[in-house]
Amino acid sequence: MRTLGEYLRLYFIIEAQYIKARMQYRADFIISSLGMFFTSLVTLSVFWVIFDSVPDLAGWSLMEMVFIYAFYMLAISPMQILFDHFWQLRFHIQQGTFLKYYFRPINMMFYYMSEMFDLKGLIQLVAGTILLIYSATQLNVDWTFTRITLLLMTLFSASLVQISMTVSAACAAFWVIDSYPVLGLAWKLREFSPYPMTIFDGAFRFAFTYIIPIGFVAFYPSQLFLRPNEVTPLIYFSPLIGIGLFALTYWIWTKGVNSYTGTGS
Amino acid sequence: MRKYMAVFRGTAMVGMIYRFGYFFAILGNLLYIGIVYYLWKSIYQGRETLRGLTFNETMIYIALGSTVFFLLKTYSDWIIHYEIREGIIASYLIKPMDFQLYALFAVLGSTAMNIFAISIPTILFMIFVLKISFATGIGLLLFPLSFIFALVISFCIDFFVGLMGFYSESVWGISSVKEIILMFFSGALVPLQFFPEAVRNVLFWLPFQAVFHTPLMMVTKPDSGLATFIPMLAVQAFWTIALIVLTRLFYNQAIKVLRISGG
Repeated sequence: MRTLGEYLRLYFIIEAQYIKARMQYRADFIISSLGMFFTSLVTLSVFWVIFDSVPDLAGWSLMEMVFIYAFYMLAISPMQILFDHFWQLRFHIQQGTFLKYYFRPINMMFYYMSEMFDLKGLIQLVAGTILLIYSATQLNVDWTFTRITLLLMTLFSASLVQISMTVSAACAAFWVIDSYPVLGLAWKLREFSPYPMTIFDGAFRFAFTYIIPIGFVAFYPSQLFLRPNEVTPLIYFSPLIGIGLFALTYWIWTKGVNSYTGTGS
Repeated sequence: MRKYMAVFRGTAMVGMIYRFGYFFAILGNLLYIGIVYYLWKSIYQGRETLRGLTFNETMIYIALGSTVFFLLKTYSDWIIHYEIREGIIASYLIKPMDFQLYALFAVLGSTAMNIFAISIPTILFMIFVLKISFATGIGLLLFPLSFIFALVISFCIDFFVGLMGFYSESVWGISSVKEIILMFFSGALVPLQFFPEAVRNVLFWLPFQAVFHTPLMMVTKPDSGLATFIPMLAVQAFWTIALIVLTRLFYNQAIKVLRISGG
C-alpha cells in the first residue's frame, strides 16, 4: 500500500512527461482550447438569445444564470483535466490494450487516469473563475469567510458528482464493450446541469436530484450564494453525496476490472 | 451506381447490429425532448406566442430538430480523419470508386437506418405523450427535398473537416468548433426566430441554417406558402452545389500531400 504522498509525487512525474510530449503539438493545444472556449461562449449566447425574448427563466435573471454556469464550468474542470482518459476506456477495452494496466504495482484507476492530463481544461478553469468573479460582483454576492469555505466545499463535492457520473457511464464498457451510447447520454444530460432545477417537476426533478444528480453539479450549490433562503437542505450533505458517489463509482470500476477478461488477440 | 448501393446496404446492415446503441439513442433523444419540453414551458410561462411561434410550434421545431440532428450526425468527419491518420484511406484509393461518393453513401446507409429507428418512436412520443399537434400544408411535401439538401450540406461540411486530417492532428478541436457553430447558427439549440433581427438576416445567407432551420420550418409552419419556401430552398440548393464543388477542389488538393508509410 503506497502513501498519498508517494502517489502525488508519481502523478507529478507522469504529468510532467506527458505535458512535455504534448508540447510537440502546439497547434493542437491552441485549436482544442478554441473549441473549449467556443463551447462555453455558445452556451452563454443561448442564454442571451433566450433572455432577449423573456425577462427571466423561472424567476432567475440572466446574471444569475451566468453565475450558475460559471459554477458549472469550475465544477466540471477537474473531470476534464484529471479524468479525461475515460473517453478512451471503451477503445482500450475493445482492442484489449486495457490489459497493460493490470501489470503495474499501483492503483489501476490512478494509473489509467494519470495517462492523460487535459491542458485545455485549464483554459476552462481560468475562464470559469473570471466569469464567477464577474457575475458575483454584478450580483453583489458578499464574500465572507464562511461563504468562501462553502464555495470550495461545494465545488469539491460538485466535481466529485460530475466525475462519478461520467466515469461510471464509461465503466459500462467493461460489460457491453461499446459504452458510447451510455456515455453519450450521460454527456448530454450534463449540459442541463446549469439550468434551474425548479423548471422541472415530478419525475424529472426527482431523477435529477436523487438518481442522476445533475442538480448537485451547479444549481443546488449556486442557490447557496444567490438565494440562501431557498436552498434545499440536502445541499449541506453534498460532501457526503460527492464522496459517496465517488466510492460507488470506484466500486463499479473495481467490479468491471475484475470481470474483464480481454477481447482476444 | 450498383457499387455505391452496396456501400449503402453495408452501413445500413452495420447499423442493425448495434441494437443496444439504438435503444440508448432513442432513450437519450426522448429524455432530451422531455427536458427541453420543461425548459421551453418555463420560458413561455403561459405566454401565447413568442417571436411568432406558439409553444406547440417551438416544440415541433426543437424536438424534430434534435431528431434531425441524430440523423445528420454521422461522425463522418471523425471517420474520415481516422482513415487518413491510420492510412486506411489507401485501400479506398485503389478501388474503382470515388472516395467522396463512397463516404456519402456510407452516410446515407446509416441515416436510412436511423430514420426508421429514431424518427418514428420520437414522432409517436411527441403526438401521444407530449400531445403536440402537427399542422399540414405544402411545406410537408417540400420537406423530403429540403432534408436531402440538408443531408448533403451537412455531409460536405463534415467531409471538409475530415479532410483537414491531411494537415492537422487535432480533429477534436476543429470538429468541436464546427459542431458548436453549426448547432447554434442553424437553430438546433434555439429556433432562429428568437435571434435578433439583424443577426437573423445575416444567418439566412449562411449554410448553417440550411441544415436545420429550413427543413424544420417546413414541418413547424407548413402553411407558410411557397413565397416563403422557394427562397429558402434556393439558398439550400446554392449551398449544396457550392459545397460539393468546394469539397471536391479541397479533396483534389489534399490528396496530393498524402503519404502513407508501412502497410
